[in-house]
Amino acid sequence: MKDLKVKISGTSGQGIISAGDILSYATARKGYYVTTFRAFPSEIRGDGKCYYTLRISENRRLTATGETDILVCLDETTIYEGLNKISSNGVLIYDSELVTELKESREDIVIYGLPLTTLAKELNSERSRNMVALGVVVGLLKNLNLEEQILSDIELRYKLKSQEIIDVNKKALNIGFEYACKKLVRKDIYDKVNMQISGAKLIMSGNEAIGLAALAAGCRFFSGYPITPATEIMEWLAKELPKFGGKMVQCEDEIAAINYALGASFAGVKSMTATSGPGLSLMQEAIGLASMSELPVVIADVQRCGPSTGMPTKTEQSDLCAAIYGTHGDCPKIVLAPMNVEDCFYQTINAFNFAEQYQVPVIILSDASLGPRRECVDLIDLDNLKIVNRHKPQLKEGDIYNRFEDTPSGISPITSVGDKYGEHVITGLEHTEANAPTPAADVHRKMTEKRFRKLETATGQFSKAKTYGSEDASIGIISWGSTSGAVFEAIDMAQKQGIKVQALYPRTLYPLPTDWIKNFIKNKDVVIVVEANYNAQFKSTIVERCTHINRGMEVLEFLKYDGTPFNPEEIYDEIQKVAKLQKDKELLSTNKHTHF
Amino acid sequence: MEANDYKGRVKPSWCPGCGNHAVIMALRKAMATLNYQTHETAVISGIGCSSRFPFFMSTYGFHTIHGRALPVAIGVKEARPQTNVIAVGGDGDGLSIGGNHFIHAARKNPNITYIMMDNEIYALTKGQCSPTSRIGTTTKCNPYAWTADRINPVLMALSFNASYVARGYSGDVKQLENLILGGLQHKGFAFIHIISPCVQYNKVSSYEKIKELSVPLPDNHDLEDRANAMKYAFSSEGLYMGLFYKTERQTYEDRYREIIKKAKSQSCDNITVKDVMKQFQ
Repeated sequence: MKDLKVKISGTSGQGIISAGDILSYATARKGYYVTTFRAFPSEIRGDGKCYYTLRISENRRLTATGETDILVCLDETTIYEGLNKISSNGVLIYDSELVTELKESREDIVIYGLPLTTLAKELNSERSRNMVALGVVVGLLKNLNLEEQILSDIELRYKLKSQEIIDVNKKALNIGFEYACKKLVRKDIYDKVNMQISGAKLIMSGNEAIGLAALAAGCRFFSGYPITPATEIMEWLAKELPKFGGKMVQCEDEIAAINYALGASFAGVKSMTATSGPGLSLMQEAIGLASMSELPVVIADVQRCGPSTGMPTKTEQSDLCAAIYGTHGDCPKIVLAPMNVEDCFYQTINAFNFAEQYQVPVIILSDASLGPRRECVDLIDLDNLKIVNRHKPQLKEGDIYNRFEDTPSGISPITSVGDKYGEHVITGLEHTEANAPTPAADVHRKMTEKRFRKLETATGQFSKAKTYGSEDASIGIISWGSTSGAVFEAIDMAQKQGIKVQALYPRTLYPLPTDWIKNFIKNKDVVIVVEANYNAQFKSTIVERCTHINRGMEVLEFLKYDGTPFNPEEIYDEIQKVAKLQKDKELLSTNKHTHF
Repeated sequence: MEANDYKGRVKPSWCPGCGNHAVIMALRKAMATLNYQTHETAVISGIGCSSRFPFFMSTYGFHTIHGRALPVAIGVKEARPQTNVIAVGGDGDGLSIGGNHFIHAARKNPNITYIMMDNEIYALTKGQCSPTSRIGTTTKCNPYAWTADRINPVLMALSFNASYVARGYSGDVKQLENLILGGLQHKGFAFIHIISPCVQYNKVSSYEKIKELSVPLPDNHDLEDRANAMKYAFSSEGLYMGLFYKTERQTYEDRYREIIKKAKSQSCDNITVKDVMKQFQ
């Protein structure tokens, strides 16, 4: 067994997320691949349910949804919710003192009702039930040798709290571990788990990856307003930026947040903000200002279900149109969509580089399934990262500096507050090369073209598209962002069944990636556009613009808009359906031939 | 530096007789007194007649969007604290669409100066009522009568705990220059409310009318007595002019300097991103 999923669930406040975090860190630090999926309610305590799924594997896997192998339930409701989603031969662990009799059961799984409460009471700490349960899991998976790592991780996690908290948690973990190893009569198959560990790697969340990349790219100013599920970015930078002399400033609203960032950028400091859908809506006017006044700024949008307040903790990819077309006016900007946690790091580096080089706002589209999830990331070579800084003019006394000089590339050398002889006024009004406001027709035409030329002359310089699967496949999948883990896995599953599929992920979504799409669809008979929104935003605004180059091709959509991320199985099912339809069509056309 | 050295590439486009001419002259003089370097100074505005201000200056300038002068100005200041930052704008820009930012700028106490040119009207859009328009005013938008009470910017600034609060009017350039000079020198958020008559769209609050209403704050007024300052701001006996309140407390930059010191003391010397990345290993 090289790949398994553990899910810990319970009521908000029971320490589900802590237990899951500790297990995922320990697993990664031990050298296994791990990816996680967290789901939690908006309420802090109360009846909301929390779920933390970890997928532990020998090779990199990027989804943790679908069937669970080991389900741990600290309350009753989540037992019945999860029972039918346990894999055959899987395990259910629940607290037999909380639930004396199961109302439902299954024959093909192993069920352990354990006295978790009594075990926790041995420590006079019922709150430690989560750690006792975690200890049981570590005991069941004894072959993975996680116990020492997990004990040292508990120490690390709680070192700023108190020695008492560390001790209680460690003891609780040991009690669960000993119980599973010594008292429990094993009927399950997980004592046979056997995975190789691979080299050192990092473990971080998508939000942390964005924060780390910002720091590495030279960002020294972050202004934000708390919003689920993006807050973690500002929390992380609040902790780290001051160590580098930088600042995280919490503002009165998202409008202020982006305008603070624009002020900082005008002062020459690389700056960013992060938000989710409602905040992106509020920021739109200032994004247009950045575009018009040609100021570099980075905006991370960790999308959640909309419209309006929607479902703050649930995922969706429905801000695409808002990101690309949301601002009024003709507004050049760059929109990037990272595919996984590791890509969050590299796309954020790109975002800062592009913002500096092209003097435009850059939007990073993450989402609620990608931002909070922790995942293994290969070691990052910080010494060899390419970091771009804005192009400053060489000025001396008496020089006349025209901030918006119309150059062949459209990029004008830029000075910042403090640069001698570079004083200038920027504005959201249309302006001449010498930054004087004007409503003249020829100036607006010329300057609009200049601003767009920055992107047009740079075609191919933005984040490259990724493909996956067989080049000669007749079935294509075009998708973007966080769906990649599920799509790639589904392609592997199809491949095993002899169905060839190739996927395209244009990581730059604006400027429109039409060349990549055209090139990709040339030899496809059918393309499925996979995205998590109702309106098929990517398909209808981008993919369908390219289909004229292959008119015989069918363009299908596979959409999800229930707040949960795609899992590989459902995409695989769709591939199978499409493959069958294609086969039937082929047969039909061959039959026709024989008739005539 | 001379006042004229701060003249921008573009000549002021305000109407002849507009109160803003006096304000820009007073600011340039005050800046000359302090020998402000143009490249070390940023004038930030929103949208409105008075917000055209940065174009008429030779310093760095940012004519932003409606209501957002303060957040942009604070962004400049926090990112580069040695900059002299002056936010300028009108009553509609700062009290209506940007009202929220006024509250939070005052309580954060960044070391910037905020000059509000109050003409009691939206003039750039050709005369609609603003938050300081008088109840009963008629405009094209309010052909029968304006229906909301006025707000009192000085009283607002005092209640938000701005650390320097003054009022002047465009008919008295000498006093304006002094109030602005005091604001620039003040360490903290300096708010200067300037009654700046609109000769085109506001026939009620003319130079003569403001002069008639204005009363100088008494010489013995205790500048640190906020409650008393509020009493003068609230007074219906006249429109008090001068410096209402001035107190020194930590600025936003001071507080961040402490945060940076604290963060650095808890981490290793000359920390690198590599060191930070270790938490993910």
